[in-house]
Amino acid sequence: MTEPRLVHNPLLAWRAIEGEVVIISPEDSVVHELNATASFVWMQANGERTPEEIAVLLAAEYEVAPEEALADTRELVAHLEAKRLLLSSPAAEGSRHG
Amino acid sequence: MRPAVIPPQRRVREETGWAERRALRLPADRQLSIAIGQIPFTLHFSEDHLLDKAGQRYARFRCCDGKALPIFLGSDPSPLPDAIRFAYALDDASVRLGSDAAHFRGVRHEYALDSLIRVLLSVLLLPRRGFLLHAATVVREGRAYVFTGRSGAGKSTVASLSPPGSVLTDEISLLRFSEDAWHAHGTPFWGEFRAEGANRKVPVAGIYSLVQAPEDRVEQLSAKEALRALLPNILFFASSKPETEALLSVLSAAAEKVPVYRLYFRRHAGFWEVISA
Repeated sequence: MTEPRLVHNPLLAWRAIEGEVVIISPEDSVVHELNATASFVWMQANGERTPEEIAVLLAAEYEVAPEEALADTRELVAHLEAKRLLLSSPAAEGSRHG
Repeated sequence: MRPAVIPPQRRVREETGWAERRALRLPADRQLSIAIGQIPFTLHFSEDHLLDKAGQRYARFRCCDGKALPIFLGSDPSPLPDAIRFAYALDDASVRLGSDAAHFRGVRHEYALDSLIRVLLSVLLLPRRGFLLHAATVVREGRAYVFTGRSGAGKSTVASLSPPGSVLTDEISLLRFSEDAWHAHGTPFWGEFRAEGANRKVPVAGIYSLVQAPEDRVEQLSAKEALRALLPNILFFASSKPETEALLSVLSAAAEKVPVYRLYFRRHAGFWEVISA
């Protein structure tokens, strides 16, 4: 089964400063601060990459084993999706299946 | 029975409400032009007692009324004649900002007026690279030291431990980038210290995030740490994405340009020694 592409929740405002991302939800003014690894995953989530593809980039960036990078990426993505910061892109997912 | 004759002007006002009153203009003596952070606006009052109170409260911030943003105070239920850029309700009072005017409703006393002006300023400052911060600002040797923290952090203590006349504000500071530098502007928004606020701008020496501790010391923060220290103390009322993005942009610029420190202090005047060191 093909994994969906990851995309930022379009409702959020965010900014990277010194490599780390700060996200604000304008609706409720909640501030989310990402650490360096989570910021890296966030920056790669451009609507075109799957978690697997992001894990490959993470492994290269941090010089860790691919399987370790994939496990970390999946854990981070699950966390960011649970907080509605990242979304799976259904359009890209659909086009892949089509 | 014939209906009573209604004078034409009164009929027009009843039919068209606030928009028409705006066109007719209130008497000039019910207007008060002030500038805070070099943002000029003219308050148009419908009640004399509020005009008197505001005149006293903002005496040091009065200015010319050339290109000032008009703010109309009243309880008229008619809507603004143009698109609403920003709206916010605070208890029974509310502010609505259109493209060329703002309207305050439900302002029953000068404290509510003060609150709505702060709300409006927080929006007007963003495109002018400025923001409001919960902070006391003290001027020493021509430079502004900005002490930020939530309620109880020690802002008023810092103000009370500073020489008379040196306190720009003890509660809400206005920071704005202009002439290639960040400046602290005096505001009429004061807290326990009851300083009336000086209407001047001073280059910022540094921002100090207050932490009560058993010893006095300072620790400089990185830009990302500075942004995180500033965010909880910002006065910000907008709930739209573009304005939130603008806020992050302005704050990031400040965090990268202005030295920001964490100040551990014992609530006595000795903290100036570690700042000066």
